[in-house]
Amino acid sequence: MELLTPQHRLAFKGKGGDLFAVLIVNWLLTLVTLGLYYPWAKVRRLKYYYEHTELDGHPFHFHGTGREMFIGFIKAVGLLVLLYGAFFGLAMLQEAWASVLGFLVLFGGLLLLLPLIIHGTYRYRMSRSSWRGIHFGYRGDRDELYRICLRDGLLTLVTLGIYGSWFTINLRNYVMSHVRWGSSQFAYKGDGLDFFLMNLKGYFLTLFTLGIYGFWWQKDLFHYYVDHLSWTFSDGRRLQFKGTATGGGFFGLIVTNVLLVIFTFGIGYAWAEVRTMRFILANIALVGDADLNNVAQTEQEHKGALAEELGDLMDIGIFL
Amino acid sequence: MSEGVEAVLYDGVSSRPIEARVSVREPNALAVEHGNERFTWPLEHSGLQWERTRDTLRISFGEFPRRVLIVRDPLFIRSFVLRMRYTGRQGVYDRLLGVARSGPLLFFLGVAVLLVASYVWLLPWAAEGVAVLMPRSVDQQLGAAAWGTMAPTLDEDTARSRTLQRFGDALQLSPDHPLTFHVVRDDQVNAFALPGGHIVVFTGILERMDRPEELAALLAHEGTHVQERHSTRMLMRQLASYVFLSLIIGDASAIAAVVAEHADNVRNLSYSRGLETDADRHGMERMHSRGVDPDGMVGLLNLLQEEAVDLPAAMEFLSSHPLTAERVAEAERLAAQLGDPVVARPPLDGLFAALTTPEVKEIPVGTAAE
Repeated sequence: MELLTPQHRLAFKGKGGDLFAVLIVNWLLTLVTLGLYYPWAKVRRLKYYYEHTELDGHPFHFHGTGREMFIGFIKAVGLLVLLYGAFFGLAMLQEAWASVLGFLVLFGGLLLLLPLIIHGTYRYRMSRSSWRGIHFGYRGDRDELYRICLRDGLLTLVTLGIYGSWFTINLRNYVMSHVRWGSSQFAYKGDGLDFFLMNLKGYFLTLFTLGIYGFWWQKDLFHYYVDHLSWTFSDGRRLQFKGTATGGGFFGLIVTNVLLVIFTFGIGYAWAEVRTMRFILANIALVGDADLNNVAQTEQEHKGALAEELGDLMDIGIFL
Repeated sequence: MSEGVEAVLYDGVSSRPIEARVSVREPNALAVEHGNERFTWPLEHSGLQWERTRDTLRISFGEFPRRVLIVRDPLFIRSFVLRMRYTGRQGVYDRLLGVARSGPLLFFLGVAVLLVASYVWLLPWAAEGVAVLMPRSVDQQLGAAAWGTMAPTLDEDTARSRTLQRFGDALQLSPDHPLTFHVVRDDQVNAFALPGGHIVVFTGILERMDRPEELAALLAHEGTHVQERHSTRMLMRQLASYVFLSLIIGDASAIAAVVAEHADNVRNLSYSRGLETDADRHGMERMHSRGVDPDGMVGLLNLLQEEAVDLPAAMEFLSSHPLTAERVAEAERLAAQLGDPVVARPPLDGLFAALTTPEVKEIPVGTAAE
């Protein structure tokens, strides 16, 4: 078995029919339990994605359990009920100061939760992910993340959203650069200005071409996220991630997926999802010479899925 | 290397994949060998976990960091799964997934039929049950809230409202809800009822009426909506189907959500058509028992028919009110069946005259209304 190749490739091995089976069973059980099964369903779904994602033929694994997700789910629901309860309770007083206070409690609370959610979700997700028996981990500092979010959040507000590009990239730089796989370490080095200019160009060209350029903008975004990611090993050797997707590729993928979902009244969703995963993973190459065999287990077990579920309930897409 | 099938072992210490061979050793253990090393994992040990996908079996063992074994031999996977199922380590989920996987579309259709059945029969039944259990004060609160926001936008003729109140009270339409009648200056040929008892009649319909029986029919129809709590029932049904649909569709796709919403609207419309026919029928029965000729309903519906441009027959399914022509026929049939009322009609003519002639504002209470 030749396990060391100069080029490493990711691949998604899932099948539409199999994912569909997972999704309908999830759906059925969630329904029968009036939604209580949701955390378990989520684990089943995540597991399907992980098990069918392979790097050099070795599958990833998701270790999370429905039980811990459920506990996180209950806590997250409780927290949100508390916040919204305070908001509506204060609003019921029908006093100006109470409404303002309620507003501050709710939105201030949600805003302060954001870094906590990102931090907790990463900690949980990474500790629950493994490849070749070695666990991933997130070693970011929560206070540092708060500092970034407060500083950049404020700047984004002051610049009427323009600084948002820098915010996104700074956050990504920080978070992704604190992800590790055993004794190896990931790094993301993006630049807010590049990202901003790319989106500016993408926005206007998409507008001028009546949407056609959107697929190429999508390609640019994909490349931006992939190409700035690297993976360093304890012996100093490094793998660089490289996106190989083309605008035409995105065009074909998105158009056929939309048709697939529409003409099957949504049943084709699982197949579309699998096509997307296949496309994305097939278009990420790892270039460089590194020894993937010499990575040691370094991370401890981490518990608690509160942040993960909170992020889910608040519909925050965490980039992974 | 001897017995067993190829497997990859990860020792949980380093990322190096280890080529290994694995076999099941009787009575109940997994034998793993690599190089010169050999060890066994008892199959019924609580520290042994396994998961399978279509073509990969993952067995892990021990405390964190766990040792992991990946097997891809289809025969081994099949016999391993069979054995584990036999020893009772197979859950409901895996069985369900097995069925789903062997025929995903068939399974889906089965589940879908089940869901549609519960959506069409079970859900409305349960929702109605809940609606009936809800105290009538809920209707009143809902109606009061709706009326509170609506009243300022309506041009109410309070003098005529008082007359209409006397007209309505004479008919004793809704024993459980006190009814409050409002006359609103508006040319629309229409009237509506709010839950809990506010009934609004537009002057447009009032001034086109010829006989008190027609007005009685209108009030009986709207009174039935109130008495039978149609709004609350409708609300509960809509709420239930909303929760049900969002539960089913969950985060699936926006397209499915749109399709479902439209299907739901069509269903609600056909339900509300049913409610209108209901209100006609119950209204007529009530008229009959109060001594009012139920034929008034026929007159009322004819009046509506003159005003409304009927939808083409094919659209009937989409209409919230049954085609007026059909309603007229139904009302005629019922009127004939009910026959003349056996009790005397309450005095209504004077009140009716006052209501339908814009000049005469109000008849002082106490004067003979006949």
